[in-house]
Amino acid sequence: MKIVFRQTKLLMQLFIASESLFFVALIIAYVYFRNFSDTWEASTNYLNVKRTAIFSIFLFSSSGTITIAKYALEKNKRKLLIFSLILTILLGATFVFGQVTEYMDLYNQEVTINQNIFGSAFFTLTGFHGFHVFLGLIILTIYLILTLLDVFRQRDPSSAFLAAEWYWHFVDVVWVFVFFIVYLMPLL
Amino acid sequence: MKLFSFEVPEPTEALPSIKSRYGILQWISSTDHKQLGILYLWVSLFFFLIGGFEAMLMRLQLAWPGLQIVSPQTFNELFTMHGTTMVFLVLMPTLIGLATYFLPLMIGANEMAFPRLNAMSLWMTLFGGLLLNFSFLAGGAPDAGWFSYAPLSEKNYSFSSGLDYYSIGLIVTGIGSIGAGLNFVITTLTMRIKGMRLRKVPLFVWMVFINSFLILAAFPLLNAGLVMLLIDRQLGSHFFLPNTGGSALLWQHFFWAFGHPEVYILALPGFGIISEVIPVFSRKNIFGYTTLAATTVFIALLSFGVWAHHMFVAGLGNPINTFFAAGSMLIGIPTGIKIVNWMATMWKGNIYFSTSMLFAVAFILDFTLGGLSGIAVAIVPLDWRVTDTYFVVAHIHYVFLGGTLFTIFAGIYYWFPKISGRMLNERLGKWHFWLFLLGFNMTFFLQHLLGFMGMPRRVFSYPDLPYYGILNLISSIGAVFMLIAVVIFIYNIFKSLRSGELAGNNPWNAWTLEWYTTSPPQLKNFETLPEVTSLRPVIDWEKQKVAQKS
Amino acid sequence: MNESIYHIFRSSSEDTDIMNELFFHFFIAALVVFILVAGFLIFIVRKYKSKKLEKDKYTVLENRSTERITLFIASVLVIVFLFLTVKVMFRIQQTPSEEQKPFVKITGHQWWWEIEYLGDTLFTANELHIPTGDKFVALMESADVVHDWYVPALGRKIDMVPGVTNFVWMQAREPGVYEGMCNEFCGAQHTWMRVEVFAHEPEEFEKWFQEQKQKAVEKPDTLFQKGKQLFQDKVCANCHTIRGTSAKAKVGPDLTHFASRNKMLGGKAEVNFQNIKDWIEDPQKMKHGAYMPNFLMTEEEINALAHYLHNLK
Repeated sequence: MKIVFRQTKLLMQLFIASESLFFVALIIAYVYFRNFSDTWEASTNYLNVKRTAIFSIFLFSSSGTITIAKYALEKNKRKLLIFSLILTILLGATFVFGQVTEYMDLYNQEVTINQNIFGSAFFTLTGFHGFHVFLGLIILTIYLILTLLDVFRQRDPSSAFLAAEWYWHFVDVVWVFVFFIVYLMPLL
Repeated sequence: MKLFSFEVPEPTEALPSIKSRYGILQWISSTDHKQLGILYLWVSLFFFLIGGFEAMLMRLQLAWPGLQIVSPQTFNELFTMHGTTMVFLVLMPTLIGLATYFLPLMIGANEMAFPRLNAMSLWMTLFGGLLLNFSFLAGGAPDAGWFSYAPLSEKNYSFSSGLDYYSIGLIVTGIGSIGAGLNFVITTLTMRIKGMRLRKVPLFVWMVFINSFLILAAFPLLNAGLVMLLIDRQLGSHFFLPNTGGSALLWQHFFWAFGHPEVYILALPGFGIISEVIPVFSRKNIFGYTTLAATTVFIALLSFGVWAHHMFVAGLGNPINTFFAAGSMLIGIPTGIKIVNWMATMWKGNIYFSTSMLFAVAFILDFTLGGLSGIAVAIVPLDWRVTDTYFVVAHIHYVFLGGTLFTIFAGIYYWFPKISGRMLNERLGKWHFWLFLLGFNMTFFLQHLLGFMGMPRRVFSYPDLPYYGILNLISSIGAVFMLIAVVIFIYNIFKSLRSGELAGNNPWNAWTLEWYTTSPPQLKNFETLPEVTSLRPVIDWEKQKVAQKS
Repeated sequence: MNESIYHIFRSSSEDTDIMNELFFHFFIAALVVFILVAGFLIFIVRKYKSKKLEKDKYTVLENRSTERITLFIASVLVIVFLFLTVKVMFRIQQTPSEEQKPFVKITGHQWWWEIEYLGDTLFTANELHIPTGDKFVALMESADVVHDWYVPALGRKIDMVPGVTNFVWMQAREPGVYEGMCNEFCGAQHTWMRVEVFAHEPEEFEKWFQEQKQKAVEKPDTLFQKGKQLFQDKVCANCHTIRGTSAKAKVGPDLTHFASRNKMLGGKAEVNFQNIKDWIEDPQKMKHGAYMPNFLMTEEEINALAHYLHNLK
């Protein structure tokens, strides 16, 4: 294994581990306030679980399409690579769009970040996740542009792809936890 | 593809200086670990002067009861900024800077794993620090203490924008530190010279390595807390506002879950420096290499299970307090073993007291005292007596100053010849050492007594109770001694940079790899290196050379 | 130690006795450890000092037994002191039983103390009066930021955390004045958030308590009446309570028996006519950052108001 690839792998592992702790802290705050705050209002009253579940499926399936992209890269199938990258970006963007509609709905129900402690915890947690998804979209877009410009003809694309891919899986997995804790747990 | 490659004036042959062709542009665009290390050190020195100035103002204000040299508000800003600056912008960047310079050299690498990330870390640290200090000009510095207990740090109680600068500045420097941590771990894991197994790295490298994991795990927690604080202040959320459903204790938990590992982030690389300096000046091997390495891991693991000992008075309940008291006291065991091992390293050696070694020995003594007062506040009922008094002020300064700063001075006197190619003046160095030691103990030893006499920390004045005035006055005079010592130190640096005695490759006859190359090293640290077979490669190679010749 | 020196080891309760005892044990242990380290270090330094850097010398020495001995000694010390810690901690911070009703509730404000005698509701401020004798439970709350109650002679220190009710045991065996202070940084005037606790014999305390339960005094003289009127007109009553008048707000300290107190402004100044005048004239000058506004009164008005307050014995 080339040393750069190994270093990138380590970098992403450690970075993701470190970044997970950031989300762990936000999740702890959310759960803490749900269980111990006097002014917590049941999130199920406001949240649209069904719609968010559907939009979540878009995000989860983008993890699949990026795996196809990885396969395409390994097999050197340029068209498949570009196609699956575009698909991944579109799926991710759909999820972000879903989050925006959710926020708009909450805003119309007058649930805002400064309304109550639920709003504070909810918007901070999902907002930072959305922000990470957004960053991931930028990363993937840059990678797509570089592929389209044939930059990788002279350079090894594998470590750059690895970084983007793992980061994307990371935001996916974070959403699994966030979705479970924020949306599903109150229903159980 | 010209579009995506930028021509940066990176050094090509020799290490550049400000006088060189590219001048300052080369420094700010550099990705060379040696240049970045030097920049880290300059950045730290710059902030050290700011933080020191703040400290001097505080000691001036406290020199006698009832003085009104600065206003109460200014005083609160001063101690907040002093603490924040010294922890985040002086001690951390110095240690990271020394590691940036020497970690690749000590493992026989020519560069860090991610040179550009390395540069980014430096500039993040610097700009975060500048942002933090800019608050002085932007209506008022943060004024809620370096741990900014909510809700005092909220908009309702801290009106200026200081705490917004605090949040953003610390997030920015924090990201820089995480970058440095990533780089150290990966460099250590992937770039060691042939033969240097992970269990054979110099202890400084090992401790920076372990330390980097602490950085990676601790800073996200701080960042999460700071983000919530910032959102509270700017967007009106309620995380730390108890009257609208938030929790004041949650901030304390977040801050100290970061804050206590942070204490070890500041201590471990210092331990590493001591573990390099003491053997070299005692002409002996490090006593108990494996134990020193293992106890470091032990300390690092324990450091995440002790944070609530900062909250013994917050009323968390006896069972929780018991758990955290146990964890905190346990840390005394590996630390005690370390101290004994350092002394055993000196045992039966030929100890030469260069300034570096003097600082190392003074470190052992002062750090022992700081450690013991640390155990005192780990014993819950004693914590209920002395916490938040001047006793704690004395304790943290014995750990951070008598501990970390002394190791930094030891490291700088030890490595300056390698960095600059010239020796620091030893005579000035000894003046620096003795004045600083005297001033330090004068200032802070008495503060233990002030704590016993019930003087709370963070007060801008105090009632004229018996002996309060005189003890504080002596304490302030001690600070003046430290100031003089630091002036001598800085003078020494500038003088030695111009006209210091030339050092040669290995002035101390040390045996770690950084001494095998030239002083200062060329852009490419090493052309070729023989295989490393022991902890003392340079000595081994010299012996081999002699053997081959005869 | 000389009794005139103010120090935290002055003890007037069982809790502080055992805490002092624990401190003494730890102090001896720490002293021994420190002397051992320092002595050993000095010995090594003197014995193995060398005038110059012996560049060619290099000795190897390894010996596992020192580590084992250190490990053993350190572990024993940790176990002993952990045991003592737990023992003392559980003894001091006992959860009060049903019968042990809390006696007072102390609420920290920026920068004064509100004191409520529970059961027989009585509000005072800034000075705590207690009877000597058995230990009692005090509840600790905060109205704004984190404060910390610490009167060293009477018991442990305890944080006042907003949104949380903490409790602490206090006891004063001998009558007298016990000084304390806020120990957690709480803003601009953290320095001047000190407190005096007056411990009385039980009969004395009962007498004081009955006096405090009286409504505020009434005096017929015109200056007093003018001051009383001003207290209403100048919106002082929007923040302060004076029982017996229409002033009932609880933002600032209760002033019903203000002049019976020893000190004002969190221990910053003594209660006397001149200080009251200075304070009303320009609160910021006397206590920078304080929340009381400057009402820009005339000299005459200040005089009347100060006269009124100074007579609220």
